[in-house]
Amino acid sequence: MENLLITAQERSPHVDFNFATGLLTIAGESYPDDASKVFGPIFEALDSYLAEVQPLPIRLEIELVYFNSSSAKALMNMFKRLDQAAIAGQKIDVYWRFAAEDETMREFGEDFSEDLSALAFHLVETDGK
Amino acid sequence: MTSESKSKGFNLFEAEDQVLARAKDLAARVEQVPAGLQDDILALVESYNLVLKEQRRLVRLSDRQQSQVAKLNKELATRTAQAEDALAKLKAVQESLVQAEKLASLGALVGGVAHEINTPVGIALSCASHLSDTTRHLKTLYEADDVGIEDFEAFLTQATDATTLVVDNCKRAAQLIGSFKQVAVDRVSAERRLFNLEKTIDETVTSLSPQIKGAGHRVEVRCPSDIMIDGYPGVLSQILGNFIMNSLIHGFDGCARQGVIAIKVDRVSLNSIILTYDDNGKGIPDANLSRVFDPFFTTKMGQGGSGLGLNIVYNLVTGPLGGTIAVTSAEDQGTQFKISFPPVAPI
Repeated sequence: MENLLITAQERSPHVDFNFATGLLTIAGESYPDDASKVFGPIFEALDSYLAEVQPLPIRLEIELVYFNSSSAKALMNMFKRLDQAAIAGQKIDVYWRFAAEDETMREFGEDFSEDLSALAFHLVETDGK
Repeated sequence: MTSESKSKGFNLFEAEDQVLARAKDLAARVEQVPAGLQDDILALVESYNLVLKEQRRLVRLSDRQQSQVAKLNKELATRTAQAEDALAKLKAVQESLVQAEKLASLGALVGGVAHEINTPVGIALSCASHLSDTTRHLKTLYEADDVGIEDFEAFLTQATDATTLVVDNCKRAAQLIGSFKQVAVDRVSAERRLFNLEKTIDETVTSLSPQIKGAGHRVEVRCPSDIMIDGYPGVLSQILGNFIMNSLIHGFDGCARQGVIAIKVDRVSLNSIILTYDDNGKGIPDANLSRVFDPFFTTKMGQGGSGLGLNIVYNLVTGPLGGTIAVTSAEDQGTQFKISFPPVAPI
């Protein structure tokens, strides 16, 4: 299966999904005109990855400094989708990275993690660099 | 969701749409229930539908606003960077103009040196050549064995006068060179040293005397002879030079009376010296008075004025001198600058 690699644009994040290691990284800013352009390919890739016979544990690294309402909704959709997979037995770890001084991003992380049951959701403070 | 999103198989509100579809389906299936219940369920489905529509609209709206905010922030960052860049360039230009201005005043100094030294050297030269003529004349007489006692006495008198004049004038030239050298070195090196205030003022005034006297003006200096300053003589000399050039170019320009510049120094306390610079020129109009220290402010735009002379003075007084400066002026009566500074310059 092909890895997913989308370089960051002015209004969309860097996306890297390595199927061989199960590592999915989303980093940067996300406020595209059309959220489907950013998240459509990610959902497609996640679906085909989870459809494999014995997928490796997923490690999702998210380090966003800014995102809009559509992106927030899409992220929640993605977490719910992954939570279902986790309930079904798939090992999934989400690392929500945010700059130590960025209270808003910390609160978003906490807010997202509240409605998840089987997914391991980790809040990680960074030094902002 | 937009049709574009759906065509890509991605629907932000997929889960909600599914709930809505199931609810509609449920409403359709409860036809047999008691009257009123179906209406209630239909009303519930409709209100959920409206809430969902509202949510989509809000998400679209806030997306648009967030994108505008991001765009404005980027615009702001660009503008800020441009403004900072322009400011840095302006500072660089100002710095180079200040350097050019310093060199220009040094040029005036060199002109003054040449003019001032010309006189003693000229006198020494004519005395020496006169002595040479007289000696040749005596030699001719001597070779003809025709030297009378009066001839020899006359020669001795002339030779004594000439050599005295040559020595005196060469001494004067050497002295002038010495003081100019000090002024020039101080201006260029900006080195800190212990110096006599009166001497530095005198040397500076002398170096500009061709310009002053040439235009028929004069300078009076009143300074206690024992004030020693631990600081930058070149800075002081530059300040006075800029004042004097300003009086000559602006104050006395088109002024009928003879220009008089008075430089007065008072030791007001152990830590404070006040230097007052006065001219009796035509003064500065009130409207311009508050702007004279601003960079690039000049009334001689395009006529050789850079608008930096007094700005440099201001920076030198508040910087290396560690002092303050004030200006007062009365139109058609003159301008006064008052500089207050400590005898020991700040480190």
